[in-house]
Amino acid sequence: MSDALLEIRDLNVEFHTPRGNVRPVRDVSLSIFPGQTLALVGESGCGKSVTALSILRLLPEPPARYPAGNIIYAGRDLLKTSEREMRKVRGGQIAMIFQEPMTSLNPVYTIGDQIAEAVILHQNLHGSAARKAAEEALHAVGIADPRRRLSDYPHQLSGGMRQRVMIAMALSCKPTLLIADEPTTALDVTIQAQILELLRKLQKDRGMSILLITHDLGVVAENADVVAVMYASRIVEYARVEDLFDRPQHPYTAALFRSIPKLGQPKDRLDTISGTVPNPANFPAGCKFHTRCPLTRKLAGEAGAETVEISNGGETFRVVARCVSEEPELREVLGGHWSRCHFTENAAGSITTPKLDAKRLTILATQEVPA
Amino acid sequence: MSSISLPPGLAGPIGSPAQPSGEAPPRLPREAPKFWLAIVLSQTVRRTGARIGLAWVAVVVFCAVFAPFLANSRPLLIKQNGAWSSPVIQSMNWADVALLLLTAIAITLFFLRRILSGRWLAISTLGSIFIVPIVCYHVFPEQDNARLGRFRQMQASGELQNVVWAPIRYSPEDHQRDSFDRNRPHPQKPSDANALGTERIGASVLSRMIHACRIALAVGFIAEGIAVVIGVIVGGLMGYFAGWVDLLGMRLVEIFSSIPSMYLLLTFVAFFGRDLYLIMVIIGITSWTGYAYFTRAEFLRLRKQDFVLAAVASGVPTWRVLFTHILPNGLTPVLVSLSFGVASAILVESTLSFLGLGPEDTASWGSLLNQAVAAGGGFYWWLATFPGIAIFLTVFSYNLIGEALRDTLDPRFQGRAR
Repeated sequence: MSDALLEIRDLNVEFHTPRGNVRPVRDVSLSIFPGQTLALVGESGCGKSVTALSILRLLPEPPARYPAGNIIYAGRDLLKTSEREMRKVRGGQIAMIFQEPMTSLNPVYTIGDQIAEAVILHQNLHGSAARKAAEEALHAVGIADPRRRLSDYPHQLSGGMRQRVMIAMALSCKPTLLIADEPTTALDVTIQAQILELLRKLQKDRGMSILLITHDLGVVAENADVVAVMYASRIVEYARVEDLFDRPQHPYTAALFRSIPKLGQPKDRLDTISGTVPNPANFPAGCKFHTRCPLTRKLAGEAGAETVEISNGGETFRVVARCVSEEPELREVLGGHWSRCHFTENAAGSITTPKLDAKRLTILATQEVPA
Repeated sequence: MSSISLPPGLAGPIGSPAQPSGEAPPRLPREAPKFWLAIVLSQTVRRTGARIGLAWVAVVVFCAVFAPFLANSRPLLIKQNGAWSSPVIQSMNWADVALLLLTAIAITLFFLRRILSGRWLAISTLGSIFIVPIVCYHVFPEQDNARLGRFRQMQASGELQNVVWAPIRYSPEDHQRDSFDRNRPHPQKPSDANALGTERIGASVLSRMIHACRIALAVGFIAEGIAVVIGVIVGGLMGYFAGWVDLLGMRLVEIFSSIPSMYLLLTFVAFFGRDLYLIMVIIGITSWTGYAYFTRAEFLRLRKQDFVLAAVASGVPTWRVLFTHILPNGLTPVLVSLSFGVASAILVESTLSFLGLGPEDTASWGSLLNQAVAAGGGFYWWLATFPGIAIFLTVFSYNLIGEALRDTLDPRFQGRAR
């Protein structure tokens, strides 16, 4: 069994602010194996970008602190690595692409200079060799006439082209892990598809792993092997992509799926999840989702349930008392499928660290029950 | 699994990625790619104000560079005993040679700018600015100003077969003791021999004004150069690191901006003598606070930009992020205030000279002004008017350039944002 390329264990990130400490990432554990794509899914503000930035230690410290947890990459803990060593990891071993291709390129340099800079820093190439490597990187991401494009400035390129340049920059140093923080959010749908296609192709060619951060479940379905769903700083569900889409276990994930329009299904109004993501400075007690959870409201309506009245967003309703008093653990509720809820149909299971390597994924795929 | 449904075009293979959208048709003529500072500068130069300002600055630069050929008691060429020689070239000192060399290098680089890459241009420009003066200082001897009148005497006595004089026949240090009646006191009114008159000890005002262009330029650029370097470094660190670095930096800025620089200058001049370079350094280290404010504000804005995060994420060292990724994006307010700063440094030097504390026996516009009012109460209008006009025009020109630069950068004055 191969080892994980990147293993995050019980990561906690805390921001020290004048109004108290905020913890946007709490007890997050996940593992990415070679060649795998792990999608980190969640609404805005759930902590997925903070998780990604903390892998490369890009959060300013202070205010950010890491009170607990490890990020193990290639046998060492990135949280304990010196800044000097981190610079070699950044770009050279773990590369990152960002959401906004419009602002992620420096407006005063040509794209050739920008790609060559990364190559010079990590590949020990200089002058015309670096230029050549930059040209090859542009060619690899499908930019026509790369030699001439090298001397273009970012403002001369369209959004899709810029994201290709960003990918070329990230991949020019042959990283083993690519962190893609919402790489297609700012692009229109056709360009989105092209970029994702390109990422899949490059991943296959080079055997690298991808940590894909997105809130778009369509992107997840197309690209991911493993999905981790985050809500209010925690991972609430962790599963193989097929399992997650077939049998969502957490009421949050289930509600997310209900809010996606389906082809051929007439509907006046889409289902939504009522309320908003709670503020990390002021999380509710117990299960963080109980203020918006449809399941707990349904269960509270049943006879004999011990309930509590709460109010959220001007609305008052009853929820099951246990959801407010006790925070659920992340349990392996089905084989290779983790969920953090007291009351789903498969709520029992052992508390284990979520981990899905290629072997486990193959076994799970053969066991798959046709839906 | 059916809950995810993507439009058919999305899931299928995409058209050849070799032809991404947004690609211009191949035959379209392409404008040479330009980096926006170049665009800003070329737009600035198109403004009338900037043109007027640059024209006067060009005159000043021309006078500064070619001063020995424009105003000199030594002829450009002489024919003595049947042989031609050039006393001007033979007597050039290190500053003359350095300025000429720098001008030649600047012109060469201007024509080579399309061939050389930006990095080589920057390296050769900065390199020659530092190396040329030092080399020249060590190679060329100090000028010998004794007996400046000897060529006039030689011509009068018929020793020279042929003489080509400079347009103004007097060096700034030439007190013309031979040409004037000892009983007629200096300063003298403008006359045929001295177009703008003479100053207190008999030197030609025009000649001194031409040679003083060097001081006007040097004070502006050396003093403000020191100020910009300090201000940008301090402001950049404050803006990028914020937090306690910013807190300490701001206190430093406040301390320096509370120093009355004129009094500091007067004190230093009193203790360490009237050294021009000391004056420039003091103007520099007391006037950087404005640049620090501007740079700090720009860095505070830019440090949160995605391209900075992207640079850090690709492993770029911090000092490179600061000075090669953020600084070029935040340079424009510094450029604008630089042109105003140069103007004010010239004024400070003129003020000092006017107070009689300027550089000793060096031609400077301010020191000519100083002589306009005689100890006995007389007023020599030519000593007040001509240097006064020169100071006014120079300060005004730098202000015009600064204003044009500011207007170009101000989004309200133009159709497109930068």
